[in-house]
Amino acid sequence: MTVQDLISRCHFTPVVLADPEREVSGCYVGDLLSWVMGRAQAGNVWITIMTNVNTVAVGSLADVSAVVLAEGVTLEQPVIDCAEARGVNILSTDLPAYETAVLVHSVI
Amino acid sequence: MKELSLNILDIAKNSVKAGADTVEIALTETEDQLEIRISDNGCGMTPEFLASVTDPFTTTRTTRKVGLGIPLFKLASEQTGGTFHIESRDQAAHPKDHGTVTAATFMKNHLDFTPLGDVISSVVTLIQADPDIRWVYTHTMPGKEVRLDTNELKAVLGDVPLNIPEVIAWITDYLREQYETA
Repeated sequence: MTVQDLISRCHFTPVVLADPEREVSGCYVGDLLSWVMGRAQAGNVWITIMTNVNTVAVGSLADVSAVVLAEGVTLEQPVIDCAEARGVNILSTDLPAYETAVLVHSVI
Repeated sequence: MKELSLNILDIAKNSVKAGADTVEIALTETEDQLEIRISDNGCGMTPEFLASVTDPFTTTRTTRKVGLGIPLFKLASEQTGGTFHIESRDQAAHPKDHGTVTAATFMKNHLDFTPLGDVISSVVTLIQADPDIRWVYTHTMPGKEVRLDTNELKAVLGDVPLNIPEVIAWITDYLREQYETA
């Protein structure tokens, strides 16, 4: 499954779609960035509510397939620009993190 | 970081990397606030580099393009409503007076305050890894102060290295006792 497929199956809103053909594998949920950095696996969909520029850094470092912002949280423009520049996919949904994870699990 | 003591370890490692021979770690606590200040006399940073260090995509590492030590320390303080400050004088421009001071304040009663954690372990780990550096650690709390200056230890120990197990165990106990004494 690709990030593009994930968007259509889960009705996520693309915020930054740098690499829509990126393959999705597994899912990780967490907000403590240093913790996520050491635990999210490459290719994971990472669900979080953290919207700092550091989120983009961790997403890039952990090489996740996409960051999914839960609970309808939004990014400031400089963070969006940064994700675009670094090629990090960012999606958003109004669902809480748990429901988002369950939904992702049901489609991948 | 799950504990601020890990941030301290991380920031102090920058001082080691900057070639500092003296590093001061000062914790100052009031009823509702904690300040962590790490000062060194290392090579410092140019104003251009300094301006970008809170950006996670700035790093001195060559193995990867992302550096999160300072950005995460800053985030940890700001998410409690605290403030973060870093200043630096680089060796080229200030040959006699160079170094870096990194300071962050934390509101202890904020829900997102990260616990300080095992700061004794952090300090001991730093001393053990770089015993030639002068480490000055102070933790000031209302009505109490914990203090360690490795230069004072060296004056007593003479040629005995700081990083042998017996001395490291002694330093750990010495700090622990100071914390336990009211």
